Amino acid sequence: MMLALMAFGTSACRDGGAPVAKSSPWSLDPSVVEAGAGIPFCEEATARVAEFMSRFEGQVPPSQRYGGTAVVGVPGEMAGGMNAHLSAQHESSQHQIFVNLMTLVRYDSDLNPTPYLAESWDVSDDGTELTFHLRDDVYWHDGELTDAYDVAYTFERATDPATGFSNEGWWTYVDKGPSSVEIIDSLTVRFRMTPHADFIDPWTMLAIMPGHLLEDVPAEELRTHPYGSVCPVGNGPFIFVSHRQDASWTFQANPVFPEGLGGRPYLDRYVYRSVTDQTTLLTELLTERLDVFVSPTPDQAAVIVDSDVLDLYRFTNRQIVLVAWNSRRRQLADKRVRMAITRGTNREEIVAGLVGDYGVVANGTVPSYHWAYDASLGAEATSYDPGAARALLDQAGWRDRDGDGVRENPEGAPLSFTLKYNPDQVRQAVAEIMQAQLLDIGVEVVPTAVDLGTLIQQVTDPRSRDFEGAILGWVTDIRLDDTSLFHSERTEGPLAWAGTRRLDIDQYLDRLPLILDRGMAKPIWDAYQELLVDEQPYTWLYQPDRLNGVNKRIRDVVMDIRGDWVNLKDWWIPSELRRVTR
Amino acid sequence: MVRRLLGAIPLVLGIATIIFFVVNLAPGDPALRFLNPNMTPEVLEQIRVNMGLDQPVHIRYVRWIGALARGDLGFSFTSNRPVLDIIKELLPNTLVLSATAIGVAFLLGILLGIVQAVRQYSLLDSVASIVGLFFYSMPSFWLALMMVLVFGLFAYQGQWFIQFPPSGMQSVDYAFLSPMAKVQDRLMHLALPATSLALVLAAGIARYTRSSMLEVIRQDFVRTARAKGLSEPVVIFKHALRNALIPVITLLGLYLPFLFSGTVFIESVFAWPGMGKLVVDSILERDYPVIMGGTLIFAMMVVVGNLVADVLYAVVDPRIRYD
Repeated sequence: MMLALMAFGTSACRDGGAPVAKSSPWSLDPSVVEAGAGIPFCEEATARVAEFMSRFEGQVPPSQRYGGTAVVGVPGEMAGGMNAHLSAQHESSQHQIFVNLMTLVRYDSDLNPTPYLAESWDVSDDGTELTFHLRDDVYWHDGELTDAYDVAYTFERATDPATGFSNEGWWTYVDKGPSSVEIIDSLTVRFRMTPHADFIDPWTMLAIMPGHLLEDVPAEELRTHPYGSVCPVGNGPFIFVSHRQDASWTFQANPVFPEGLGGRPYLDRYVYRSVTDQTTLLTELLTERLDVFVSPTPDQAAVIVDSDVLDLYRFTNRQIVLVAWNSRRRQLADKRVRMAITRGTNREEIVAGLVGDYGVVANGTVPSYHWAYDASLGAEATSYDPGAARALLDQAGWRDRDGDGVRENPEGAPLSFTLKYNPDQVRQAVAEIMQAQLLDIGVEVVPTAVDLGTLIQQVTDPRSRDFEGAILGWVTDIRLDDTSLFHSERTEGPLAWAGTRRLDIDQYLDRLPLILDRGMAKPIWDAYQELLVDEQPYTWLYQPDRLNGVNKRIRDVVMDIRGDWVNLKDWWIPSELRRVTR
Repeated sequence: MVRRLLGAIPLVLGIATIIFFVVNLAPGDPALRFLNPNMTPEVLEQIRVNMGLDQPVHIRYVRWIGALARGDLGFSFTSNRPVLDIIKELLPNTLVLSATAIGVAFLLGILLGIVQAVRQYSLLDSVASIVGLFFYSMPSFWLALMMVLVFGLFAYQGQWFIQFPPSGMQSVDYAFLSPMAKVQDRLMHLALPATSLALVLAAGIARYTRSSMLEVIRQDFVRTARAKGLSEPVVIFKHALRNALIPVITLLGLYLPFLFSGTVFIESVFAWPGMGKLVVDSILERDYPVIMGGTLIFAMMVVVGNLVADVLYAVVDPRIRYD
């Protein structure tokens, strides 16, 4: 038998000669060439067609991209699941707006709003009415058409106080209540608002929910409804398949996703895996059981860069790492002291030592991706200069009166405070570096590790504000509004960590959201940022890059400020590299 | 036995009370999980109301205990599912892992202990003692990470004959596998976490078995068995082992708390979707109902495990009877 097989193999090889190359999808069928042979017009036309097609040589045609499973590993569960009214977690929101559900509008890579569920929108001349015209070919995964009633339902629930919708600030300038939304027809819906700059932004973030399934569920009962985590029914490019608690979420391609939006996703299936341990996640990626590892540490990124099968994706993060100073405390009440601390902290050294190339020094609340960002603003005024820091402390009356290396005020109280951080290697290192650097200018810092949940409570509870300095990560929206951070009227709010009270800052915060023209707004943003530099409610440390490890077999992956899953629908895997089921 | 079971009820109630107050009086606020730049204090308060956190802690305790009596453990703050449903989904996974680990640990530990006792002071005895001590003193999470790196990563990179999945309970394509392949897939995923748990326990069991066996094989009835002309395996396994096992069986009850605390680390490292990982994730998320429900189930499992150990004790030693 073995001999027979060998003989067959030899004969096949001999008969066939060299292996026959699989014909390229971009090469013309020989019969086309033969048909026009000898006719100059046809020969020329055929040559032009062949030349055009040859431009695509080496590319896999879209028709051959369908199939395969992509697996993404993330350190945590998707808390809140697919219920857009309940969840504020990053991964959940990303899956709502890019995977299972749809928003009315989405941002393109330049952060310009583009149609999605809404094929167009109009704003009335006076800027008080926003009308969305919905596509007529988007269906819920149970077959119902997505219509204006779903949009109205989603808005009404999101503005119902009983829901406890955590992004309530989206509606600051939008009229609320049932009368504020008008259904013009089944595919047209209108909202009323006060004219403001970022009126479209909430509609790029809020996933539209299936009103036909949930309209009878009272707002206060949404939290206990099985929709979000057990049986979500979406209308997005991927259909929910299963959720295994603390293990995975599985989705499959939506075969009727509108052609006008790109049609069915290339992937057959997409799996989100929850893996708590970072080392395990990296191992899974290196052993190619995961295709994407979301948010590895900078140390792990180096391993990913060294791998032959992986690519490291990096893009601007929405997070800014900062030290919030509680100005309610006596030793931090003087803005000169806060500025001295900033100038006594070598932030470039911290960034270089802890995140390497994966981050940039931050000087204010405006992140680098924002149109109003100006890297030079505040850079000079807050640059590392221990001499200037000492002079500021001298001016503020803090001098080393007893020669122990720590400054005291005229009453003899030392310039000493705790710096709290959650137990994270990078944050701990930041605290220890600041401790060493600030001691050089006579400031005593006591690094104190506090569990994250406790730390958040300590900095947000308006009754105690049990901290002096705290290392925090502030995650911004694409739309920027610092009202909850620095407005005097919000000092009792959870986010008023610094306790800032300045009339000039309040005026800017009131005015900035209402300026529609960016050209007019830019100098005002600059002036606002200069005020923040002067006030120094925080020492802004750095804006870390978002890092993701991606297996090279996953093609056409785009990850940017919009998110990690922004074009999941367009990911594809060459057929020969897809997972083989035993 | 029925009396002992009834006696466990106040014990569990006491444990439940302690768990409730430890969790609810600890610093942290579950509603702050929703904190973001767009949140107002009013919304934060509404979220607290929706979660039932606006009530004083004693009112929440009475409600929780009342619901517990009806078999209702409340709703998860993060998954928005009944805690009982979550536990029903994950408890079997932990039981599979724990049962496999404890089975392997006892099998391995007892066999090793016997060999060490029979070959006392031999090279084998010394080597086994050193290796046993090594595993006994090793933190389980570190051992787990080494397992992941050696049998997951290095095996893959070195194209070893056998490679184990570094984490999870099943492959992503599990649903499409043949029945036999499914069994194989589950066993492969079980291998590393179960071994990580078992090795630490086995080392201790081996030490106990060794000393117990050494005590027994010097007794008169063993000498009598040998004098009767019985073969050495029969003497060791039939006569000596049964008597030596009595103190070892008590280890089952003693080891259960260690086993379950071990699963907390092991499940997190291996992404094994069980009660341990659930409790860890819930603590990080301040998901009070799940922390309380999960911890309570662990406590009940230890209580039941101790009852089982008592029963086994009676089975091994006919002199012991529970009237």
